[in-house]
Amino acid sequence: MSVYLLQTVNGVGIGMLYFLLAVGLSIVFGLLRFVNFAHGVFYLLGAYFCFEAVRQGMSFWAALLVVPLFVAAVGWVAEKTLLRHVYAKPHEFHILITVGVALIIQELVIVQWGPLGDSVAVPTGLEGVVMWGDFIYPKYRLFVIGVTAGLAVLLWWVLEGTRLGSAVRAGSESPEMVSLLGINVFRLFSLVFALGAATAAIAGVLAAPIRGVEPFMGIEALAVAFVVVVVGGLGSFTGALVGGILIGVVQSVMSTLWPEGARLMIYVAMAAVLLLRPNGLLGKGG
Amino acid sequence: MRRNIDIAVALGIVVALPLLLSSGSLASEVLIYALAVLGCNLLLGYTGLLSFGQGIFFGLGSYTIGLMLTRTGLPMPLALVASIILGGLAAGLVGIVSIRQKGTYFVMLTLAFAQMFYFLAYSVPSLTGGDNGLLNIPRPPLSAFGVVLWDNTTAWQFYAMVAVIFLLVFVALHRVTTSIFGRTLLAIRDNEVRASAIGYNVPRFKLLAFVLSGAVTALAGALNAMMVGVAPLANAEFHVSEMILVMTVIGGAGNLAASLIGALFYVLAADWLSTLWPRWLMLLGVLLVVISLGMQRGLWGLIEDGFLALTGRFKRTGEIRVEEKQV
Repeated sequence: MSVYLLQTVNGVGIGMLYFLLAVGLSIVFGLLRFVNFAHGVFYLLGAYFCFEAVRQGMSFWAALLVVPLFVAAVGWVAEKTLLRHVYAKPHEFHILITVGVALIIQELVIVQWGPLGDSVAVPTGLEGVVMWGDFIYPKYRLFVIGVTAGLAVLLWWVLEGTRLGSAVRAGSESPEMVSLLGINVFRLFSLVFALGAATAAIAGVLAAPIRGVEPFMGIEALAVAFVVVVVGGLGSFTGALVGGILIGVVQSVMSTLWPEGARLMIYVAMAAVLLLRPNGLLGKGG
Repeated sequence: MRRNIDIAVALGIVVALPLLLSSGSLASEVLIYALAVLGCNLLLGYTGLLSFGQGIFFGLGSYTIGLMLTRTGLPMPLALVASIILGGLAAGLVGIVSIRQKGTYFVMLTLAFAQMFYFLAYSVPSLTGGDNGLLNIPRPPLSAFGVVLWDNTTAWQFYAMVAVIFLLVFVALHRVTTSIFGRTLLAIRDNEVRASAIGYNVPRFKLLAFVLSGAVTALAGALNAMMVGVAPLANAEFHVSEMILVMTVIGGAGNLAASLIGALFYVLAADWLSTLWPRWLMLLGVLLVVISLGMQRGLWGLIEDGFLALTGRFKRTGEIRVEEKQV
């Protein structure tokens, strides 16, 4: 029994990372009606920048703060210089241009760090495990659950409780109207895109000590983020949270029952949800 | 008129490849990927469906022919037919679930299903060979009643067979795209709401296009496995889906001859550049960005414009929808 409890807790940990990955994608889609296929490479960049920072002697904690800012800058520049020019075009071109950006960044990562993966040490102070009775759990994973939960609350507050958040939510309904009300929507787009990149990068930094770094982790993360938003409902904050945790738990529990098929099962779970609820668990009907 | 031009271009390239290339496998590779691109183009260019899941059918085709040729005594043409049928069925399954969704949702689903198929192939090593893939797939001759009609020993002999198959499929797809069915697909691409209001069963047409596309792509995958002699797990990877889509876009969506140009460009560039600079994929990324920003009709559009400029007719044919929408 305790194996399943452990795997469920583990799943919540993985799921919170999945949430972090998906929520940026979801918010960007909500506002810009734009599925960002380069979202995975922001996660990739987060992980690699963290790897490089730690290798250069920077502490993991500093990397956790600085790396997302760097990646947000990359996202901001990409939005300003390239993506902005295709907003008016059919959605195929939104996808193609972000796929192009993703290819360029992924290849740059391989040029810089090589095609093979590497590992990142668990930060000092978080090595080892915690024990409560017969419940044993790695400290770092507990830390990840804590940080992502904190970030989830922070993001929720930003979206629901600040002026920026209300502009974003209003922009999701009607960018024209928000623009007529005197808000610079284009600046809002850039800002939200950079924010989305930053959340993906934080997920990358946090994931690096768990799963190491390798150049193709971006596409894998992108697919998982898609599964999460498809399951939870695109454009919904709560949807990303529920979807992320559900998918994390499915993957984690299945990895004890059928290790080879654990990855497969998250896609099976997605297909099952889709057949029952085509718009996702929390998606709007229609 | 246009139709004859497209078929002439296809025939011209098929005949020119042996004269220009020294490697028969490289020439076969061009036509094999061109088949897969035709399948993708039928969706993107004619139905307006952007699919990131073409690798599913390519990989499935490879595995099917591998299993048929190594474990059953099925003659090669029937094994190819089996791949085509399975590809169509798989496309039907993926299609039923994903076609209910529109726009970007559909695209995300095809990508998720591509990953699903990869992990499926990975988790049933008894059928797919897992990480190693299916090895030692033979390239049997084409024979009927014990008489060898066409030997496939050398790369160029195999090219000839692939070329015949390619041209047959090309002409068949031409018939399809110029038929009433094809015109209906174009109507759906251009205005789905209107097509459905007129009374067309839009999901059914989309599903049919998807099945057709899956069947053609599986045929390409099967021929690829016969050419290289293995059905590797890599054939089911996301990279294959991406590659097929990139070839389609580079060539130009909405025109069948453009698909051949796209595959030709990609395969030759890969062959040439990958020895010079292993990270040449970055250039493809740049090309995709350029195409999205301004060259939306791909290489074919470029060729068409150049040709029209030369012949003094500055009229644009406007194959692909250029719909400007205000943000």
